[in-house]
Amino acid sequence: MIDSLRKHVSPGWVLVAPFLMLVVVLYLGPILNILWLSLTDPEPGLQNYQKLYTNDTLLRIIWTTFRICLITTIISVAFGYSIAYAMVHAHKKRQKLMLTLLLVSFWISILVRTFSWLMLLGHNGLLNNALETLNIISEPVAFVRNELGVLIGMVHYMVPYAVLPLLVNMQTLDTRVMSASRNLGATGSQTFFRIYLPLTKPGIVAACLLVFILSLGFYVTPAILGGGKVLMVAEYISVQLLVTLKWGTAAMLAALMLFGVLALLYIMSKFMKLSTVFGGSTS
Amino acid sequence: MVGGNNAQGSLQLKKLQKKFGSFVAVDDVDLEIQQGEFLTLLGPSGSGKTTLLMMIAGFLDITSGDIELDGLSIANVPAEKRNFGMVFQGYALFPHMTVRENISYALDVRKRPKAEISARVDEMLDLVQLHEFGERKPGQLSGGQQQRVALARALCFAPPVLLLDEPLGALDKKLRVEVQEQLKDIHRRVGTTFVYVTHDQEEALSMSDRIVIMQDGAIEQVGTPQELYEKPETKFAASFLGKSNFLNLKDGLHALRPEKIDIHPAGQGDVTARATGTIRSITYFGSVQKFMVSVEGDEELEVDVDSWRNRYPLKEGQAVDLTWEDRATVKLRNG
Amino acid sequence: MQDKQFMRETLFEGAEAFKAGRMNRRSFLTLCAMAGVASSAVMVGDAEAAANEIVMWNWGGQSEECHGNAIGKPFEEATGMPLRFDTSGPLQGKIREMVDSGNVTADVCDGDLFDAIALGPSGHLEAIDYDVVDKAKTLPNYAVEHGVSIILYGYAFVYDTEAYGDTPPNSWADFFDTAKFPGKRSLYKWANGSLEAALMADGVSKDELYPLDMDRALAKLVAMKDDSLYWGSGSEAHSMVVNGEVSMGMVWQNRGRNIEIDTDDRYKLVMNEALAMPGAYIVPKGNPAGREAIMKFIATAQDPAAQLQLLECLGMTPSNPEAFAMIPEDQQPYAITSAMNIDNVAFNDPVWWGENGGDAVNAFLEAIS
Ligand SMILES: Nc1ncnc2c1ncn2[C@@H]1O[C@H](COP(=O)(O)OP(=O)(O)OP(=O)(O)O)[C@@H](O)[C@H]1O
Ligand SMILES: [Mg+2]
Repeated sequence: MIDSLRKHVSPGWVLVAPFLMLVVVLYLGPILNILWLSLTDPEPGLQNYQKLYTNDTLLRIIWTTFRICLITTIISVAFGYSIAYAMVHAHKKRQKLMLTLLLVSFWISILVRTFSWLMLLGHNGLLNNALETLNIISEPVAFVRNELGVLIGMVHYMVPYAVLPLLVNMQTLDTRVMSASRNLGATGSQTFFRIYLPLTKPGIVAACLLVFILSLGFYVTPAILGGGKVLMVAEYISVQLLVTLKWGTAAMLAALMLFGVLALLYIMSKFMKLSTVFGGSTS
Repeated sequence: MVGGNNAQGSLQLKKLQKKFGSFVAVDDVDLEIQQGEFLTLLGPSGSGKTTLLMMIAGFLDITSGDIELDGLSIANVPAEKRNFGMVFQGYALFPHMTVRENISYALDVRKRPKAEISARVDEMLDLVQLHEFGERKPGQLSGGQQQRVALARALCFAPPVLLLDEPLGALDKKLRVEVQEQLKDIHRRVGTTFVYVTHDQEEALSMSDRIVIMQDGAIEQVGTPQELYEKPETKFAASFLGKSNFLNLKDGLHALRPEKIDIHPAGQGDVTARATGTIRSITYFGSVQKFMVSVEGDEELEVDVDSWRNRYPLKEGQAVDLTWEDRATVKLRNG
Repeated sequence: MQDKQFMRETLFEGAEAFKAGRMNRRSFLTLCAMAGVASSAVMVGDAEAAANEIVMWNWGGQSEECHGNAIGKPFEEATGMPLRFDTSGPLQGKIREMVDSGNVTADVCDGDLFDAIALGPSGHLEAIDYDVVDKAKTLPNYAVEHGVSIILYGYAFVYDTEAYGDTPPNSWADFFDTAKFPGKRSLYKWANGSLEAALMADGVSKDELYPLDMDRALAKLVAMKDDSLYWGSGSEAHSMVVNGEVSMGMVWQNRGRNIEIDTDDRYKLVMNEALAMPGAYIVPKGNPAGREAIMKFIATAQDPAAQLQLLECLGMTPSNPEAFAMIPEDQQPYAITSAMNIDNVAFNDPVWWGENGGDAVNAFLEAIS
């Protein structure tokens, strides 16, 4: 019996099995719990999911979340792309410095960043004061406490996350391919759009996925920089859990986000091999 | 002419120099490359072949000197405007494009009419015999096929000059010989000037109109394969291209090719022996036999003899006389 | 959502002190760095309850020191049990989760009285033992089965004297009248106070607020939405005002005093029609120190001296009628139950909020977002 098992199960699986079980319990457990809660609280049935049809607010919050995350993703990845490009093409020494700065930025807490933006861009902030002193504006500009503020805060947080996958992707590109393009008579922009951009597509997709999924979970930044008027799903879930005690609604929204992300990955996988996005080979 | 370029394809390199910091990678290279010629840059690793080629292609700035195309300086023309074809070390095909898209690229970026492009790509696919592979991606081709795609891509816009950097380096021996033939054939048919980089001496000998032997960034000697083989000017040239014995004679150092020495059992030679010695080893290569002969003064001479024409049954340890004609030795420059 | 409330507040205070020149740059940056490092540590909760001590679950900040001195000290002297704190914020959801999980680590929550109504019937709270705790030592409606009010806080507003110095606003009607008093407003984000203010502004008598007419309140709020910002913490409310983001701001009344001081009286607090909120002590079911000990602790907190000390320290107003007359003169303008304010304020109905609060918050969020 053991022998026949040994024949069919490679010893590697036996070694990792305990950890695999642990992972399954630690990850799947809470997820199943959420699903269970979304179907049973406050009473068994699908009424939590029905709210998606009957409650305009939920749809509006989901739409706001989706819109903000999408815009954040586009802007962050665009910035991240330029930064990664600059890093790859900088001198070795400067490249190290840039990488250090990038990594250091991961350590700055989101609260500190958020309040820094308030101090910089707020009603009485550095920028508004400077602009007023220079007589460029007569009334402070509302950079924060609105959707613009939320976007600024989120993009600022997300740019380093966008850089990393792009950096990895760009570093593995064969620079001779770009030389070949120039040699064949392509201008700089032709080379960029026809060769460089397509070859960095796996990096772009990975960066977009990473930023979008992380953005979905934001609530500190929207809560503070949005002036209370930009309500996103994560904050709404937290209110339902902690303040209004509507755990079923919270679980339903959490499940929805989870399946939304899974659906996103599934759709992506239809268009390209995910393994190339997550660092597999490109050919 | 498809490339829209009326250049003839002769190149003049004038006192060309390239420094990386204080390191001189290419040193005062003067060279005339004829239109339609198959010119090979031959040299050991690190001798500056790629650097020289990259300067011609326009990917590396020139430190000093000049490059002219048909007598006009192109030193300040950017790579994409030079209209030189290039086959890169490792091919550098566009992995996300099909074979057809790779080949048509140069014409696409020049915004040629669709019909013209399509016809030209077909022509190229015929030339490199890859017609049934047009829709494949490079990743789905063998090394030899990729090499041919790279060639077709570089030739598609009919460049006056084609630069090739060790294009056969990644292929196995048998395939190499096959592709050498095809390359040579293609060169004959398109009539483009080929500047070809290799460190394989046989490849250089069999394919080139002329060979440039390089060492430490400088040109050691230029000439037809025959000239270089028969009349090497330096010890380096003589030993890098083919094998050679070196004789320290009164008027200096001379080169003597192993196959130009005759070997006889001691005392049996019909001419006066030039040297006498004993056979240290015999190696049989089928068509030739190689004798290593110890002569006076600790020296060893290599003698290659046609197996078929060897008249004597010679054994290791046997005393022998070695003879050669006067014209067999070549006096070297910097001996 | 308010896990990081403490850090948030600390940072805000720091930022304000920095701006006002009370803190130099280096110490502010140090504070920022510490907040970055410490915010995760704070979430874990800083005390584990044991049988021989009382753990109070509150929002941290100054209230730690104030409750410690006002109630913790006398209680420890009397019983030998020290008072410790968990500053992660006793939100309803967290209390419910703690009790459901069976791992109760807090003895008493410094919460709202409506929490007692919301969580009591489902068995998440210990009933108050009114043989030990004295119903007479709080306002009549503010001693309920599962919680008792110790202090009162309130929703009032401040206004910018430079903008409205000549004809100062004096009611919620003025607050909501952006035609007569142009400028931005700030309101509390989690609905309570904001809804009542809107109804009073719309003409509902302060004594007839409950049950809240939600549609009417929301209509009033939505009408002013474009001119409104919403805050989630006291420090945020504070900074919106002192940074000039709004010209009238709803604030917790005890903050009003700080704002007047910080701005050299440029901003003035209006206590007329302030909504008095019963802050309450509630006890999670199965608290580690046991019911008997915690009831004694709560009784200690009813002592007028302790309550007056909290007033001095935090600006929270006593709920024990015995203490009303003892409110010192300088605190009277800010205290809810002082003689000059008590007849002008509205009183929150914890029962309505306990039963309808969840839906009210969601309806409010729906309206403002
Ligand atoms: N970018 C560079 N910076 C500094 N030194 C360089 C650079 N590129 C090449 N070199 C040096 O210049 C010399 C010539 O290099 P090159 O690549 O031209 O050699 P090669 O003849 O092509 O050799 P191989 O046959 O190995 O390809 C080498 O010593 C090399 O180290
Ligand atoms: Mg090379």
